[in-house]
Amino acid sequence: MTTPGQRKKALQEAGFNTFLLRSEDVYIDLLTDSGTSAMSDSQWAGMMQGDEAYAGSRNFYNLEKVIREVYGYQYIIPTHQGRGAENILSRILIRKGDIVPGNMYFTTTRLHQELAGGKFEDIIIDEAHDPESEFPFKGNVSLDKLDKLVQQYGAGRIPYVSIATSVNMAGGQPISMNNLKELRAYTSKHNIRIIHDMTRVAENAFFIQQREKGYEKKSVAAIVREICSYTDGATMSAKKDALVNIGGFLAVNDWHVFEEARNMVVVYEGLHTYGGLAGRDMEAMAIGIQESVSDDHIRARIGQVIYLGEKMIDYGIPIVRPIGGHGIFVDAKKFLPHIPQDCYPAQTLAAEIYLDSGIRTMERGVVSAGRKANGKNYYPKLELVRFTIPRRVYTQAHMDVIAESTLRVYERKARIKGLTMVYEPKYLRFFQARFQKL
Amino acid sequence: MVTFACLYAEHMKTIIEPFRIKSIEPIRFNTPEERVGILREAYYNPFLIHAGDVLIDLLTDSGTSAMSSGQWAGIMNGDESYAGSPSFFRFRKVVQDITGMPEVIPAHQGRAAEKILFSILGGKGKYFASNTLFDTTRANIEFTGAEGVDLLCEEGKHTTVPFPFKGNIDVPALKKFIEEKGAENVPLVIITITNNSGGGQPVSLQNIREAKAVCAAFGVPLYIDACRFAENAYFIKQREPGYSEKTVKEIAQELFSLADGCTMSAKKDAFANIGGFLAMRDPELAQQCRNLLVITEGFPTYGGLAGRDLEAIAIGLEEVLDEHYLQYRTRSIAYLAGKLSDAGVPVMLPAGGHAVYLDAKGFLPHIPVDQYPGQALACALYKAGGVRGVEIGSLMFGRYDADRKLVPAQMELVRLAIPRRVYTQSHIDYVSEVVMEVFDGRNTVTGLRIVEEAPVLRHFTAKLAPVN
Repeated sequence: MTTPGQRKKALQEAGFNTFLLRSEDVYIDLLTDSGTSAMSDSQWAGMMQGDEAYAGSRNFYNLEKVIREVYGYQYIIPTHQGRGAENILSRILIRKGDIVPGNMYFTTTRLHQELAGGKFEDIIIDEAHDPESEFPFKGNVSLDKLDKLVQQYGAGRIPYVSIATSVNMAGGQPISMNNLKELRAYTSKHNIRIIHDMTRVAENAFFIQQREKGYEKKSVAAIVREICSYTDGATMSAKKDALVNIGGFLAVNDWHVFEEARNMVVVYEGLHTYGGLAGRDMEAMAIGIQESVSDDHIRARIGQVIYLGEKMIDYGIPIVRPIGGHGIFVDAKKFLPHIPQDCYPAQTLAAEIYLDSGIRTMERGVVSAGRKANGKNYYPKLELVRFTIPRRVYTQAHMDVIAESTLRVYERKARIKGLTMVYEPKYLRFFQARFQKL
Repeated sequence: MVTFACLYAEHMKTIIEPFRIKSIEPIRFNTPEERVGILREAYYNPFLIHAGDVLIDLLTDSGTSAMSSGQWAGIMNGDESYAGSPSFFRFRKVVQDITGMPEVIPAHQGRAAEKILFSILGGKGKYFASNTLFDTTRANIEFTGAEGVDLLCEEGKHTTVPFPFKGNIDVPALKKFIEEKGAENVPLVIITITNNSGGGQPVSLQNIREAKAVCAAFGVPLYIDACRFAENAYFIKQREPGYSEKTVKEIAQELFSLADGCTMSAKKDAFANIGGFLAMRDPELAQQCRNLLVITEGFPTYGGLAGRDLEAIAIGLEEVLDEHYLQYRTRSIAYLAGKLSDAGVPVMLPAGGHAVYLDAKGFLPHIPVDQYPGQALACALYKAGGVRGVEIGSLMFGRYDADRKLVPAQMELVRLAIPRRVYTQSHIDYVSEVVMEVFDGRNTVTGLRIVEEAPVLRHFTAKLAPVN
């Protein structure tokens, strides 16, 4: 526990960037749901059964079997985390000048596409950019937008369409099964791959079960498997849905892509039967994947997020609707309407919430969006503060404290001033940027 | 899981393992007949054998160590915060204490740390000098368009010449090299301790001091590839005049004080199953490294590792400086090499710090190099006793010329790398028995041919078949 005086000092030392706070100075840590889950007793038992052989560890074969069973992908390469898989896949599939359409950007995904010589094009439906739209599947792709790109550049310049389940930057919003089926039909016609950024696929599947006609009676596990069946390969950060603290993988159905990836993984990650992970971490991942598609687990998980979101709505706090799967996204533009986007309203709000109660959240707005190739800032329509809920870590009482603290900040919002950036790194600036109060 | 119990008594000549065993991992036994089938299914490539079918796994000492009870307790204490985890600060403090370097950057393993360093400093027209570059280090350097050059001392190039520091860099050659290439084209000199590719041979402090003097005169930074720094420091204590009274930690600190930075795979001397780091004195270079780290590894306070792994590394780095452990470690390897050498088996001498190297050309003189004697020997060891070693010869390093004729490697070796704190003396005795049995029947061992191979790093996945 910290005092307001200590938090003020910690915030100054961290340059008003919540990433740079020491976690000891944090009371409730909502920075990310990535790698912060509590593992189950079974996963800990699996940790003790790690086979740390460099080649051919039995944990690898178990992981491979589980991924085939639960997700249905054929060839698997473990990586130390999701971005390791993105790096390898982007280098294999993207050629200079290629276009990679996707349902909204994600920071590391887009960067790897750009470093491989590609250009990301957002083809998410317009509703996704409207924080107040109650559309149930704001992660959907606009086939018109995709078709325009195909007309303009030709299908040959589009190595794949990148589909995230669920869409993090849109506020944890799902894509519908129907939309995915239509996308599959369209891409098959034009011979374009679909690569699945599947880090929160189980959460997406739960929303399909709750909202999409014909899926009410299906299990989350069955829906997950169906989603994967419409795609050609996947990158996975297992640090989210799969309930582990470290790990990820690349999965493909195409043998040739697999072969290339297997040669490349040795350079960046490790031999293809460990991919930069300890054997025990592959075991924990295999068990976590199986736990992640349990209906009871997902219902409790998303139920907790919705509990917090509804409480905030009751308090009149502007949040992205409908409530997403892995966190609450507060609309900083509406929360702090007097602060222009150039003065970083979301970064400011995250700092103020920490100051109030020691709760650590994350900016997902103009700072995260970074700069275009020409050096100009991306100005995203969404200027959000993400309250990400780690899986199985906090209780309902913690959720109450979070909502109450946000309300306190909301009540004094008129007195809050913006920030100016004083240090800006070249890549992924949101991680290490530093700010000063205006 | 291993608990230290200092049962070592100086007046006894038997050196016991300085730990007792708390948790065991069963070995599954199989018969020579079963192993014939397993070898066939693995296409005569030990990399493709499932670990569950191996009795004694000497493929590598990397990531295969047994952690101590203290490290497992650290695993439970890991703080998994994405940013600013206390586990990171504990890890950083230990690395700073040993290396004296203020900037500490974690990475998921050693090759990732190297990748970042060389992407910043490398590029076309740049040259990196070393005693011997390890293969992933060289790959990372060449990937940037730069060139890596090995300047090993003459003694290190002969397998059986007795010399205490066969890992030394050739200092006059280093001076000449920097003069020729121009200091501005040599971003750094990196000394690998111990010298892995050269058989785990140590580098003396005097040699590092002289190399540093040359580097300093030209303003070139000196880096250490520190994977096996404690094993190297222990050899210095044993062999270098003036160091017998110093602790291994003091020797390590003195060694690092001469360097401007280091890379480390914590999977070796830090007893960790995963992890590595980059440490340095230059804050500006460190910031550049962190900017690249976030792209492929992770945020600077976790670098692609779980918080618990940072704890395990920190504890392992403290444990490895225990001299009873280092005595047991180096002596058990010398014991195996000595036993084999006494029986007439051709091995590299003196033994290095982490492995015993069999000379496959001398072992199987009837098998020509284009039939991969090293690979044939590795397969024969597996067949005879379920022991898995690795070929370091023409399968790993061979190239083809324009007529698709094999250009063989300099040496045909089989490396038996000993995992740390995993096997006991009776396992080691068993290994020597297996090697001697194969040696007795060496005339019956036949060569191999490649039936399928990848264009790069073929040894990991190549498929082979017996010649007849």
